[in-house]
Amino acid sequence: MNSKANVKNMMIITMLMAMSIVFHLIEPVLPIPVPGVKLGLANILGLIALMLFGIKTMYAVNLSRVLIASLLRGILFGTGFWVSLSGVLISTTFVALLYKTNKFSVVGLSIAAAAFHNVGQVLMIMLIYSSVFMIYWMPPLIWLSIPTGLLTGILATGALQRLRVSK
Amino acid sequence: MKHLNRFDQWLVIILIVGSTLLYGSISWLINASNSGQRVAIVSYKDQEILRIDMSIDANYVVQGTLGEVFIEVKDQSIRVEKETSPLNICSIQGWVSSSLVPITCLPNHILIVIVAPKEGDIDFEVK
Repeated sequence: MNSKANVKNMMIITMLMAMSIVFHLIEPVLPIPVPGVKLGLANILGLIALMLFGIKTMYAVNLSRVLIASLLRGILFGTGFWVSLSGVLISTTFVALLYKTNKFSVVGLSIAAAAFHNVGQVLMIMLIYSSVFMIYWMPPLIWLSIPTGLLTGILATGALQRLRVSK
Repeated sequence: MKHLNRFDQWLVIILIVGSTLLYGSISWLINASNSGQRVAIVSYKDQEILRIDMSIDANYVVQGTLGEVFIEVKDQSIRVEKETSPLNICSIQGWVSSSLVPITCLPNHILIVIVAPKEGDIDFEVK
């Protein structure tokens, strides 16, 4: 029984990873009216992993997504990879810290993930280009991350409700 | 907002206030240090490759990672006129006249920043 549950959990985690990679790959082609802004749909899968399996699984899903998607796009260890990786590491760490407080909802965690993902990306771009001017982009990106985080948070909440019902 | 609890709402307020304060501080700092800005620095992979006198209307071409990047200066403003990249974000960005707004062509590794001029700033021009 226990091994059955383990296999089921492993399958769910593998599917979460696969779906997050697919979202990561297709998102750049989705039409968004603001240039350079993405919805962060892949964050939904990280949040689901967090709520169902905990912090370690969220790290596994998010990091594998960046690694495998970068490998598939042929940009592994390129500029885009490091920017994505720093965004994911910082956002996942902040979400993990907020999650441990047990005070924030999935939507709140999603907004934090979106905001700190942008913070991480801008910090890495500042480092790569050795330009403090890039910090100018951080506030507008944080403002935009609030509606996108809200949207992905609502989607994650809906998905979690359905997943828990079907469990 | 029915989706946000009290702590979520505080988080949103902190993010908005914090980022607005950051934006205001950066604007104030750069404006204070950059009055009379006239030089645009073009960098490729963190190496400065061109300095442009913003008072002269002209067109420039620099080599980016994915191809040539066409830069235009007109009426103290600068823009990337044309470049090769998947999303063309830097050419969509349009005209920039403020040192607060860098132009970043990430796929081409080109960065354009307007700064205050120093003596003998213009190294060369590419027409």
